[in-house]
Amino acid sequence: MPTRFKGSTVGGVIVAIVAAGGIGWLWGTRTAGATTRPIPTVGGKPDFNGIWQANNEAYWDLQAHSARAGMVTQRGVYPYEYAQVAAAPVVALGAAAGVPASIGVVEGDGEIPYKPEAAAMKRENGEHWIDRDPELKCYLPGIPRAMYMPYPFQIVQGGNKIQMAYAFTNASRVIHLDKSAGPPDDTYMGHSVGRWEGDTLVVEVSDFNGKNWFDRAGNFHSDALHLVERFTLLAPNVIRYEVTIQDPKVFTRPWRISMPIYRRMEPNMQLLEYRCVEFAEEFLFGNLRKQPLVKHWEGETMIVDITRKTPPGDKLYEWYRR
Amino acid sequence: MRRRFLEALGVAAVIMAVVLLLKSARAPVGAQAGQPGTAAKAGPAPTTPSGDPDLQGIWTRDSDEPLQRPAKYASKETFTDEERAALDKQIAEIVGREASEERRQRGTEQDVGGAYNAAVFTSHLRTGRRTSMIIDPPDGRIPAITAEEQKKRNELREYSLALLQATDVCKNKLPACAGGKYGPPSPRRAETPPYYIMNAVVGSGGGAISRSDGPEDRGHGERCMAAALPDFGGFRRIVQSRDQVSMLYDVGQGQGWIRVIPITQAPHVAKNVRLWWGDSRGRWEGKTLVVDVTNFSPKSNFQGSHENLHLVERWERLDSETIKYTVTIEDATVWTKPWTVTHELKKQKDEDNRIYSEPRCHEGNYGMAGLLVGARELERAFAAGRGPNPATQCLGGCGGFAGGFADEGADANPLR
Repeated sequence: MPTRFKGSTVGGVIVAIVAAGGIGWLWGTRTAGATTRPIPTVGGKPDFNGIWQANNEAYWDLQAHSARAGMVTQRGVYPYEYAQVAAAPVVALGAAAGVPASIGVVEGDGEIPYKPEAAAMKRENGEHWIDRDPELKCYLPGIPRAMYMPYPFQIVQGGNKIQMAYAFTNASRVIHLDKSAGPPDDTYMGHSVGRWEGDTLVVEVSDFNGKNWFDRAGNFHSDALHLVERFTLLAPNVIRYEVTIQDPKVFTRPWRISMPIYRRMEPNMQLLEYRCVEFAEEFLFGNLRKQPLVKHWEGETMIVDITRKTPPGDKLYEWYRR
Repeated sequence: MRRRFLEALGVAAVIMAVVLLLKSARAPVGAQAGQPGTAAKAGPAPTTPSGDPDLQGIWTRDSDEPLQRPAKYASKETFTDEERAALDKQIAEIVGREASEERRQRGTEQDVGGAYNAAVFTSHLRTGRRTSMIIDPPDGRIPAITAEEQKKRNELREYSLALLQATDVCKNKLPACAGGKYGPPSPRRAETPPYYIMNAVVGSGGGAISRSDGPEDRGHGERCMAAALPDFGGFRRIVQSRDQVSMLYDVGQGQGWIRVIPITQAPHVAKNVRLWWGDSRGRWEGKTLVVDVTNFSPKSNFQGSHENLHLVERWERLDSETIKYTVTIEDATVWTKPWTVTHELKKQKDEDNRIYSEPRCHEGNYGMAGLLVGARELERAFAAGRGPNPATQCLGGCGGFAGGFADEGADANPLR
């Protein structure tokens, strides 16, 4: 795993286990009555205020998958998929560059019901991950992806508005619980309209521009995406997060993902920015410099010779325009 | 011409967000919005269920007051209604002339650099009541800078002038070349700038320095990283709960951002954590949210202040329609004393969603690619003997770009 996940994620696991241990696992049930600690409320509704973070591998791939040798791999000695080795872009990072396994977050049979042409596009996306994934370019991550990226986010629950602030690229969204005009244009982060169904916050999200992905595996959607998110407080420090995903241009039927999202319980926890616009500049514009910064190394120094040949149609702004 | 075309494309992309923002956000001079006496009747300041002042809603300024008091109003703190009306008329006439495109000398770099003024920056808010947003020092001016800071600014200015010296800006003795003179291409063009390049000097024609060797040369604005704290323009959407106040800033060219202010007695984050918008700690003092902000980044920039910036902000809900925002700005390495700015924010209708909450400057930044491609093409053309020496072309800091106003003379901004 990339270095930046180490501190926060490991800390989160321990905290989450402690938090969940006392209450039994209520997965699949929505009754809060069985908890040993009362659900905190604000204005008569469950209190979601605070800093939260998912703690799973969905950001790599929503679907169940094995661990693999590198974020980017290539054929090794053997021709088998399972014998692939880390490829040039990450080979110098050794065991820190692999991808962890996951039990997946897609409900039911674990399959994503792509239409045939969309399934082909998803495969192609996966193969061209480093050329196409908007995350690598530091673009606004969209919903639901922002909810389970390996960065914390903060919920501020006001009267008629709930604001969510994400560490990743300082993205945010407002959930309107009251009447609100739609956005002036289609959006990356969607237009979120919420309501309470009992103790569950239900949010319908629409008006997407279709430029986002769900994960680093190339799972994608179009501008016809419509989400129904359900936030249920299982215990003071655990949200059950469930999303029904509809997109008739890409999928044959609605499908669903679900996962727990945990409170970051460090007493001095605060949201720290991950302002990646600057971090992506070399990636985006490095080839346009007068003097390139990426060089062949020499002498005793390791030479990392990276071939990143962009396939036709996938140049920086070609893919973006689609 | 190809370079111009590419640059124009880039510029157009970067400013699209501004066009959209300004169209929805600003009442043109001559419209009724914001006219004295037409504001909604204000009721008492509301409070939240937990008993704190309620700051929630969408907020913006509805009039324009200069940050610093113009020299000609040195003895005057406020304008009369007649003076405000006269200023509005004068500004409308100036930007009207600007929009007519007759004022510019066609084909000059200033003409091209300022080409989008006419379409974008010719709407202005009405002139406000006060002659400066700065209330301390009492003269309404930013305090003198320290000798150390002056030395730094001089070094940067010398470097910037060296890059301009072979261009038409210096050849024609334009205001952007003040302090420099026309000469052959400077060897300093190959130097790393003496300090991290941040923002263009106000009115310098876009771009920070006359060079496009890489993204860093273009400055924060063109890199989509210009948003800074404090900010005195645009919109705020405030949502609050008992222990936290979140503020979405819709500012600049799609360069907005969100901050969450914790209400806490806890000390600031560790000293080695440096943040573009600093580390905020809020507390309630009566009707006012007081926020202490430290831990700024060496790359963040407010009027030349970076990692040593310290702010004390006061957000006071005066009544149902008004928040008074006051900020005391302190950086002993830059200014010889602290200074204080204040302005009022007016409540906007919630339902209108009058805020463009997606700061997507970066996602549409074709401009950066265009600028760099243009510069490389210029170099190739020169090397092949079919184009001018790149050192003679002004690529930033060229002047002629200041919100529809001329750099100097009768068409300069009367409030500057």
